[in-house]
Amino acid sequence: MNPQIPCFEFHDVSFTWHGERVILERQSFSLPQGAFVLIRGPSGGGKSTLLRLMNRLEEVETGKISYLGQNLTDRHPSELRQQVAYLQQTPVIPDRSVRDILLQPFSFRVNREKTKPSDQILQQLLGKVQMKDIGLDDPGAVLSGGQRQRLSLVRTLLTGPNVLLLDEPTSSLDSESRRCVLELVEERNRQGTTIVMITHDTFLPKHVPVMKLTIDQGRVFVCR
Amino acid sequence: MPLTTGALDISAAELALASLFIVAAGAISLWGRIGLGKPILMGAVRCVLQLTIMGYVLSFIFGIASPWLVLLLFCVMVAFAVRIVRGNVSEKSIPFVLPSFVTMLLVYAVVTSTVSGLIVGVRPFWHPQYFIPLAGMVAGNSMTALGLSLDRLLSDLKAKRDLVEMQLCLGATPVEASQDIFRDALKAGMIPSVNSLAGVGLVFLPGMMTGQILSGEDPMLAIRYQIVVMFMLVASTALTVSLVLGIVRQRCFSPGRQLLLRSNRPQ
Repeated sequence: MNPQIPCFEFHDVSFTWHGERVILERQSFSLPQGAFVLIRGPSGGGKSTLLRLMNRLEEVETGKISYLGQNLTDRHPSELRQQVAYLQQTPVIPDRSVRDILLQPFSFRVNREKTKPSDQILQQLLGKVQMKDIGLDDPGAVLSGGQRQRLSLVRTLLTGPNVLLLDEPTSSLDSESRRCVLELVEERNRQGTTIVMITHDTFLPKHVPVMKLTIDQGRVFVCR
Repeated sequence: MPLTTGALDISAAELALASLFIVAAGAISLWGRIGLGKPILMGAVRCVLQLTIMGYVLSFIFGIASPWLVLLLFCVMVAFAVRIVRGNVSEKSIPFVLPSFVTMLLVYAVVTSTVSGLIVGVRPFWHPQYFIPLAGMVAGNSMTALGLSLDRLLSDLKAKRDLVEMQLCLGATPVEASQDIFRDALKAGMIPSVNSLAGVGLVFLPGMMTGQILSGEDPMLAIRYQIVVMFMLVASTALTVSLVLGIVRQRCFSPGRQLLLRSNRPQ
């Protein structure tokens, strides 16, 4: 894969929410492969919508978005989402065991050929986000908000996406859990995963260069 | 001495006496202040009018015995059934009327023709005396089931949007992402029919069987007819509901695999 090709490229993209509120107005910018991008901006400014557009949960009105040089609309949606994983702000945990929740992506056709991680790997990953006391047979329904958020992150990481779109992944976490989650994300970034993360934290990754992006009133401002 | 007789006539005065039941229901509504007085009255008037008109229509069609007239009446019955289904579904942003109409028409035609021509052995299979009442029972039964199921499917997809999108985000196809919701909706529509199978003969005697017995038929013959009808109703409900739900579910997602049902919640 040519590293010169941007991971994501927005060409003159416009998007309006419900035909009323302008989220993006003819914006063009690009995000390099392997970058660690932090998105900030006022509440309701369109940060989540930006991630949803990149994951193709929303469709641009005008312009186009390319992923690794190819228009998003030319890619198979499920295969795109397998490579570009989006973690919603509010964790959604079905009423199943922790193991079943974590292995849920492997039940989908797009991931069926992938090897399911062993219990040992699942426990290791849970340990990395301060959840080593949680058993794989425990019901997901009893987990706290912060535990659900971390469990959702682990579930997203398991299929090994190339890009992680994270919508405030640390919003319900205490400082220690937050530190662990950010270390895990940073580790993935060092391994080559592109990270695009919405955050209101003052956190900055310590060991990788960061690109900051602000979205406000339909415009995107990029600071490198 | 056998106790069975032919059907006894009901005079206009006796019909008027029966309307006291409606008066009783209306009085309970007024007493309980549940606001159903007007719907009960309107429903009773519609019931009398519709059945009277149907009586004249059936007498006319039985007299002429034309397959085209039977087909026309069958289409009108299905169209009214779809109209009632539409009224029972609160979420109307996804178009479901046309797929419902086409599916109901095809399923009812196949099931009713099979029962009439193959099982009962009526010649010709479209004989109005058999085809129309059978089609009416199929339509009436699965119409209620379809309304329940469709309402459940669409409202759950909307209410559980986050759950569906979470699975889409993990690479699920729309079918995979909505499988649990689809299953619950199908079950919601099927349960009343399955319960009737278990309760028939013990908890209630169905209208068709009661009608045959009242008109002096041998109860064993009435029961054999009723068994066929019960099986027919379960099959037609399962077929109609699963096919329409499958088509409508597909319409809830765009070609880009985005859930089209959305709340007004800003992102």
